[in-house]
Amino acid sequence: MTTVEVKSLRKSYEDFLALDGVSLTAESGQLVTLLGPSGCGKSTTLRCLAGFHEPNGGDILVDGESILNVPSNRRQFGVVFQNYALFPHMTVAENIGYGLRLQKLSKGEIATRVFDVMKLVRLTGLEDRLPREISGGQQQRVALARALVLKPRLLLLDEPLANLDARLRDEVRWLIRDLQQQSGITAFYVTHDQSEAMAMSDMVAVMKAGRVAQFATPREIYQKPTERYVADFTGEANFLTAQSVKPVGEGRYAVHVAGADIEIDGVPGLAENAAAELLLRPESLSLVSTGDAATFEGEVIKCAFLGASLHCEIALPEGGRLKLTAPPNHAVTEGDRVGIAIDLSHVWLMPEVAP
Amino acid sequence: MMRSKKLIWALALPALLLLFVFMILPITNMVEMSFRTPGSSEPFGDDYTIMHYTRILGDGYYWGVLWRSLTTAGMVTLLCLIVSYPIAWHLSRAKGFKAVFLYACIASPLMTGVLVRNFGWMIVAALNGPLNESLMALGIIERPLRLLFTQSLVILALVHVFVPFMVLPINNALRNIPQSLTEASASMGASRYQVFRDVILPLSFPGIQPGVILVYVLAVAAYVTPALLGGQMVSYMPTLIIGELTGTFQWPFGSALAIVLSCSTVLIVVVFTRLTWKLNERARA
Repeated sequence: MTTVEVKSLRKSYEDFLALDGVSLTAESGQLVTLLGPSGCGKSTTLRCLAGFHEPNGGDILVDGESILNVPSNRRQFGVVFQNYALFPHMTVAENIGYGLRLQKLSKGEIATRVFDVMKLVRLTGLEDRLPREISGGQQQRVALARALVLKPRLLLLDEPLANLDARLRDEVRWLIRDLQQQSGITAFYVTHDQSEAMAMSDMVAVMKAGRVAQFATPREIYQKPTERYVADFTGEANFLTAQSVKPVGEGRYAVHVAGADIEIDGVPGLAENAAAELLLRPESLSLVSTGDAATFEGEVIKCAFLGASLHCEIALPEGGRLKLTAPPNHAVTEGDRVGIAIDLSHVWLMPEVAP
Repeated sequence: MMRSKKLIWALALPALLLLFVFMILPITNMVEMSFRTPGSSEPFGDDYTIMHYTRILGDGYYWGVLWRSLTTAGMVTLLCLIVSYPIAWHLSRAKGFKAVFLYACIASPLMTGVLVRNFGWMIVAALNGPLNESLMALGIIERPLRLLFTQSLVILALVHVFVPFMVLPINNALRNIPQSLTEASASMGASRYQVFRDVILPLSFPGIQPGVILVYVLAVAAYVTPALLGGQMVSYMPTLIIGELTGTFQWPFGSALAIVLSCSTVLIVVVFTRLTWKLNERARA
């Protein structure tokens, strides 16, 4: 239905460059997540999309047409705010019907559409309550209903789950994703929570200091990050410095790392002997006895039993530490010398900082 | 529990004492005085009567003055609201030094003594004063206007001094409206006017209500400005009351006038509060 193209968007404040050339695309019906720490520019990007901020440069195309000259009240985008931004002086039904009332629809039609959307987000029965009389999770769903009832061209969500407790967060997260997919609305979703981003998105843009560090599918940003920053932000990660990097094919390298010689995949285009790091996710490592099967050997320095799994930290003799998850019944204790086998298909070579 | 209750009473004691000595006692005294018979050689006599009230309520002249006082205060309040709202809006957006500067500007009428301020108005509004001369120089009028000793000048001068009492509570209410509410309504298709009408205005009501009450009560009770700028031809309740109390020394009759004025004002404030109660309750987030 709606495609969006953000082209090298720039936004600066008096003494602060908030966006330094952000480029993104969203295909019709996709949910695109902007992921990053606070101050990385993810909210600013969303606010430029919504029309609350005017960028200093670049362009935003919606269905091929620039919307920069369209004021926010003509963009027909639904926005869900972190603090919900419900009108405190209007009831739940009035909040949801507000946009319809502005369109001068008949009372009957407003009532029908409000009723339908309230059923969709499971709020039936709360029509006449004021926002302060309902729970946080319910307020969140009112905010969502209020955006959806207008059948927006684009749905913009700014950390919609940040103020909910963990249990509710999970519930509302799936509700958002279901509704977005059912209605086929293209959506942008801002969050600093990587698991939220991974679980919900079609595409994730990991942002860093006003730029997009990587824009790819959740699988790619997790397994094939372009730089250490992305790998760090998308989950638990181990890094080992790679020595004598040698390209042996397109995106394939032979490296010497922590005393072992291995051949692995990596970011394409790394030069011979380039400074690079090996990314090893904890789940791609397994504990084995020392000997042939082991790629590395090391000493267990920390070991924590978590019920479903065992979390270990192992110091390598060449320097560097590896965190890994082992099956819970694996008999290791601190001080043991162990071997570590790595699943080579899940190891990734990348530069420390993308060029 | 007992201790904290005692503590609460102890903390409230100074305020209660102050209220009792400077409000309850004088009002009781005033009410009692209003039922006294007039004295011949003293300000009041020994017996009690309701003749002062029957005299006031039976005389169209006093009804007229009461009406003038209440409607003048109404005009002052309305104009104050209209003038103050945009100022409060700007103030609520201002930050840092600009905000401090604006606060100072807004409070400036209160920093001038009441007599100085009113004599200032007399000079400004005089027949050959700067206001008339400027208007003539601009060609707007041909002959000087008689501005001094008119009801309009009284209203203008009262609006001037009461604006801070309206601006500050409205500014407070406006500052409490999160920006995201404005953005949310805009994203739902509201024009700037609709955002104002549907969101800003109702949510600033918790500031409008106290501002209106404050200015109305102050305007009804204002004495110096009507006395100096209103002239001898038109009377307002406060000037009348002071005349009875200090001019002709009719304390009981003056007290009765004062009680009538107070009761009317309280009645208006109560009705206004009742009418706007629901709106205010809802907007109190």
